[in-house]
Amino acid sequence: MTRILRGTLITILLLLAFHPTAIAQDDASQGEEEPVIDVMGKIVDHDYLEVAGAKIYLPRILLVDGDWYFYSSTTAALESGEFQEQDGVLTRADGASVSLDMSITSHLMYVWFGIILALFFTIWAARRYKRGIGKTSEPKGVLHNIFEVLFVFVRDDIAKEYIPADKYKKYITYLFSVFMAISFMNLFGLFPWGVSATADLTVTATLAAITFFITQFSGSKDHWRHVFMFPGVHPLIRIILTPVEILGLFTKPFALAIRLFANMLSGKILIVCILGLIFIFTNIFGPAVGIGSSVIWVSLTAALYILKAFIALLQAYIFTLLSAVFIGMAAEEHDHEHEHESNVAVATDINQ
Amino acid sequence: MGFLAAGIGAGIITLGAGIGIGLIGKGAVESIARQPEASGDIRGAMILTAAFIEGVALFAAVVTAILALGITV
Repeated sequence: MTRILRGTLITILLLLAFHPTAIAQDDASQGEEEPVIDVMGKIVDHDYLEVAGAKIYLPRILLVDGDWYFYSSTTAALESGEFQEQDGVLTRADGASVSLDMSITSHLMYVWFGIILALFFTIWAARRYKRGIGKTSEPKGVLHNIFEVLFVFVRDDIAKEYIPADKYKKYITYLFSVFMAISFMNLFGLFPWGVSATADLTVTATLAAITFFITQFSGSKDHWRHVFMFPGVHPLIRIILTPVEILGLFTKPFALAIRLFANMLSGKILIVCILGLIFIFTNIFGPAVGIGSSVIWVSLTAALYILKAFIALLQAYIFTLLSAVFIGMAAEEHDHEHEHESNVAVATDINQ
Repeated sequence: MGFLAAGIGAGIITLGAGIGIGLIGKGAVESIARQPEASGDIRGAMILTAAFIEGVALFAAVVTAILALGITV
């Protein structure tokens, strides 16, 4: 049985190694001026979903000078005569540029897929717990066990650890949902034709903005006191310290957004570039070298995929962890009697 | 000129962040070797500190990206 499985696996791997070269030859014969591989085109947002080589065009929703326009696809917008395309950007026929583009794009679709999958998974598990499986007995099945491990991990190792003991229960829902959603969004990028939506700054910025607002609204009196009137320092130092603290409120979620975005984007670029070496080699040295070298590049990509799967989960964990740390730092209440000691306690808390 | 600045900047960022995260890794591995029962706490602290360093490095990376793309603010 294992021998059959191993044989099939090797056959599939060999097929995968030769398949891109065939496409590369097709592409190389078409145009000479075009760059061999369009790295940015694989990374940026599109107005279509690619499934098994076919393209599903997504609706365009555009706001121009207070008027809303709805089209089923970009071509429909162009055919209606109300819009024209200039350098890949839609403008109205009279030259007015689009003031707000609310179009549904591939990244947005994958955000929805991630959220829907996270919802299904959690609701499915919640129903099982309601029926008593996992509560009165042990959790049954692989999925249910994975759910319990993840949930207990987020609750005990993230929420309980970094948020004050009397408040952490309120934030578990947010932390767990953001963890699940980011994990699914990251892992979607590993599927063929899949897109990891978190490799888009708007997606990560939205997630970080949610964390930012939760942090500010859960801020205790001490949190705001530390921002505007840092206790225990000379008043003149506060002139420098207060702007820095106010800036710090915004840089934390900004770093959160950039971190997730940069990590997912770099993984994507790396894989496209390494697979692109097959195309480049075929273009320069001919198909024989391309086919020969593809064995190296495809196996390297396979190794990178494992790394990428690990990074996908790690980045989801880091996003959740840092959200919990920021919320915990804001929600913490200090002892007013011992201001200096409390400062030392804060310093050690951050260092821990 | 922007490309040159971005390239040199990216190199320096990588140097700094690499040294920083390397030192964290060194400290964490040494502590775990000395006290294996505290490995869970140490790992958490390690990832958290590394994430902060990464945050600073990413700020610099954004600056280089702005330089390379020629965006004028």
